[in-house]
Amino acid sequence: MKIGIYFCNCGSNIADKINAETVAEAAKSFPDIPYVRIVDFICSEDGKLQFEESLKAEQPDRVVVAACSPRDHEATFQCCLSNAGMNPYLMQMVNIREQIAWVTEDPALATEKAISAIRGAVGRVRQQEPLEKKQLEVCPDALVIGAGPAGMKAALSLAEAGRKVTLVERTPFIGGLPVRFEELFPALECAPCMLEPLMGELLHGDHAGTIELLTMAELEQVTGFYGNFNVKIRQKPRHVSLHDCIGCGECAAVCPARTTNTFNCHASDRAAVDFAFTGALPNAPFLMEDICIRSKGEECRACKDVCPMGEHVIDLDEVDTVVERTVGAIILATGAGLYDASLIAGLGMGTLPDVYDALQFERMLSSTGPTGGEIVTAAGTPPASVAIIHCVGSLDDGHKPYCSGICCQYAFKFNHLISAKLPDAAITHYHRELVMPGKEAHTLFQHAVHNKNSTLKRYDGIADLGVRAGDNGGLRVSAKDVELSAEMVILCPAVTPAEGGDRLAALLDVSRDSFGFFRELHGRMDAAQSSIKGVYLAGACQEPMDIRTAMLEGMASVGYALAGLQPGRTLEIEPITAEVDETHCAGCRLCISVCPYRAILFDTEQNRSSVNAVLCHGCGTCVTACPAGAITGHHFSNAQIMAEMEGVLK
Amino acid sequence: MAEKPKLALYWAASCGGCEIATVNLHEKLLDLDAAFDFMFCPCLLDTKKKDIEALPDGAIAVTLFNGALRTEENMEMARLLRRKSRLLVAFGSCAKGGCVPALANLTSKDDLLKTIYLDSPSLDNPEGIIPSGTTAFTEGDIHLTPLLGRVKHLAQEGDVDYFVPGCPPEPHQIWNVIEAILSDTLPAKGSTVGCGTLTVCDDCDRTKEEKRIPAFRRSYEFYPDAQACLLEQGLLCMGIATRNGCGAPCTKANMPCTGCYGAPDGVSDQGAKMVAALGSVMDIGDTTGLSEEAIAARVAGFLATIPDYAGMFYKYTLASSTLGGRVGSKK
Repeated sequence: MKIGIYFCNCGSNIADKINAETVAEAAKSFPDIPYVRIVDFICSEDGKLQFEESLKAEQPDRVVVAACSPRDHEATFQCCLSNAGMNPYLMQMVNIREQIAWVTEDPALATEKAISAIRGAVGRVRQQEPLEKKQLEVCPDALVIGAGPAGMKAALSLAEAGRKVTLVERTPFIGGLPVRFEELFPALECAPCMLEPLMGELLHGDHAGTIELLTMAELEQVTGFYGNFNVKIRQKPRHVSLHDCIGCGECAAVCPARTTNTFNCHASDRAAVDFAFTGALPNAPFLMEDICIRSKGEECRACKDVCPMGEHVIDLDEVDTVVERTVGAIILATGAGLYDASLIAGLGMGTLPDVYDALQFERMLSSTGPTGGEIVTAAGTPPASVAIIHCVGSLDDGHKPYCSGICCQYAFKFNHLISAKLPDAAITHYHRELVMPGKEAHTLFQHAVHNKNSTLKRYDGIADLGVRAGDNGGLRVSAKDVELSAEMVILCPAVTPAEGGDRLAALLDVSRDSFGFFRELHGRMDAAQSSIKGVYLAGACQEPMDIRTAMLEGMASVGYALAGLQPGRTLEIEPITAEVDETHCAGCRLCISVCPYRAILFDTEQNRSSVNAVLCHGCGTCVTACPAGAITGHHFSNAQIMAEMEGVLK
Repeated sequence: MAEKPKLALYWAASCGGCEIATVNLHEKLLDLDAAFDFMFCPCLLDTKKKDIEALPDGAIAVTLFNGALRTEENMEMARLLRRKSRLLVAFGSCAKGGCVPALANLTSKDDLLKTIYLDSPSLDNPEGIIPSGTTAFTEGDIHLTPLLGRVKHLAQEGDVDYFVPGCPPEPHQIWNVIEAILSDTLPAKGSTVGCGTLTVCDDCDRTKEEKRIPAFRRSYEFYPDAQACLLEQGLLCMGIATRNGCGAPCTKANMPCTGCYGAPDGVSDQGAKMVAALGSVMDIGDTTGLSEEAIAARVAGFLATIPDYAGMFYKYTLASSTLGGRVGSKK
């Protein structure tokens, strides 16, 4: 086997410490007696040309480049090999600059070390094999799960880029949490008005034709992988045709069955067939099967009969449908919820009237909410005093150790809105820390600070606070020894992931952190990617965030999907992957548990594992773990690594 | 009629289990006897060492050599039988990898003798005698062969033609080896024969799922489910890193595999491989936000559920492992 060693002096960087001539002399004792060429700057344009010309003239079987870190120039020299007609994986680099020349004082020792390392590389490269990149056709379309700000933004942007999008939403309406709010921090915009253009575009705009919206739907099954996911989505029956319904509400008016409305935090009633709330889009009611009196065996078709668009609009017998789609990418935008404040003893959540969490209060503020936007106590009177408790469960090791990031801002928004509606109401903020980053948040904070009716009180831990019923009605809020009256208490609980994240994580094998948020591939470098290739993260499903950040995250996830999957372009698959020798796999399934990329598939009929090269990142975890020694890491095989060690230690 | 080829079954440092497994060929013993002149087996026959010495070199067709090399006598017999045999087979786990006798390599020869003859609580040895060398009796002298500094397996002392794993080898596999010898269908010299090419998991028909193991349990602590993978139930089953061919009789009897068939093809060190595999499926829970110390404590808690590393992972292969034994106990 003919082996060429190319030794780069890197000017004086390497030459000052490592004597190339001594290395060349030592190489005469290496296996296969490689030839040695000494180059001054092999990465320079001249150097690369010289390298390529030499490769063409010598036609070696294997090449060792002793130069800098492969992180600097492995790709450069692989390219040179390709230009010279060689397989680029037949080269091994030795980092004699950073790892030897720069860190060794004595030139004699440095030269000796370089000889060992190069001898190791020669041993290794003899075992290396030509590898080929593979090409795979991909589907450029996407599935977006969750139609809140992040998911809507992502779906619309993908559609604008010409991609087909399936947008799956669990609730009967789009807009997520904020569409249920009246006004938003930091600028007190009306939330439904702000979101309306986006929702309108999504439902009826120029690109609506390429967006398939499935409300009341959830992901049920996922197979396949990046570029070719096959998904099954189960859609519950709405019983009202989105195509034909004009949203007049006649059906709701005649429906005899009543229940409380989840979307108003159960603070108001609704009919069995009714809107989620006034203004919810798509503008059509939905029928709750378990509430409809037909579920109790009674005959009723009042809604059908009253519908001015015809009796076909409401289908009382509609059943679940399962939709199957092929997509290349999946964007998770499942949003957030609030920590259950009743888990914190002593604050009266769920036990005292007039103790509300932030979501209940948002609905109270909303003109489409249970009170039509009036701030009133359970007794129906405007409160003379309101206490707002921040950090309920946040920054608290007993509950959620993280800061939820958005609560201070909406708490001061509440301050503003309460004062606007009830100018004489006294407002007391109980806060642990105050968090208002950015250039806009200070306005509402300053407003609260300068509000003559408001007071800010700092407390140390949530255990110092207590809310009890007052002796003469109303509530008493205590902070250590100081007790004040309040007629209404608003709690700002920690922001948590929306329910159902565990099921989705299991379906997609996406990892979650200990709080249940989806875990990013890298918290800073790749915060919109999950650990699974082709599954992207957007919005508050990955951590508490405001609408602005959620929208940006939505766009970021679209960036990944668009950059990675392009119509007509194939996916290039790196050949440095693991491969199972099926003749040595005994089907113990140990490898499957360790793969962080869900790249190992198990054939239950053959009882054998196999690695999907598209998904494999070549990390080698399964290679180490395989107790049968049946998995090889291409380009990092045991034989290669052993040969390198033997060469170094000789 | 041509003379039948000679067959020897010798034991060095061994327990006799390999002989019993051979006897468990049952009626096939008659076939064995028909095919071979079964002429040397200290456990069953009265042939003496001097009879073997008297044979010309290469006179024995096949020697199935079981037992590890613990004493100088074992070494001498290994050399003698190598010289006299055309095929020398390392038969069973002691000859192949040192097995239980080689666990003595975790301590020095002197410590070993001290424990056995001086420190053991059940001893009555007021003069503190450690038997060795030559002792004179009225009936004659008794010679005790010296112990080697370190227990070896057969291939460390000489050229071995084939290896048969098992503690002991399963009778049906012993017969497979005999048939291969008779039909001249043995694979390349140096191969491990009388076994499968996969791991015990292939022989074990329990249901295997993905593995996450929060802690190990011992067999006496619970009745394992009869269908689920024993490892997944927290029993330290070595089957995943053990060559198959035995038919998984242990897991079929609801007992975890202890690894007696040794490492599968492609694995050089069974114990190290087992450690790597278990490290990969060790479940210490979510470590997000934990300090290094807290994570280390969780790992230590997991490891504390493994009672005896060497005895568990290297019960059959310590002599042939990368480590070989404790540092400082060289010959």
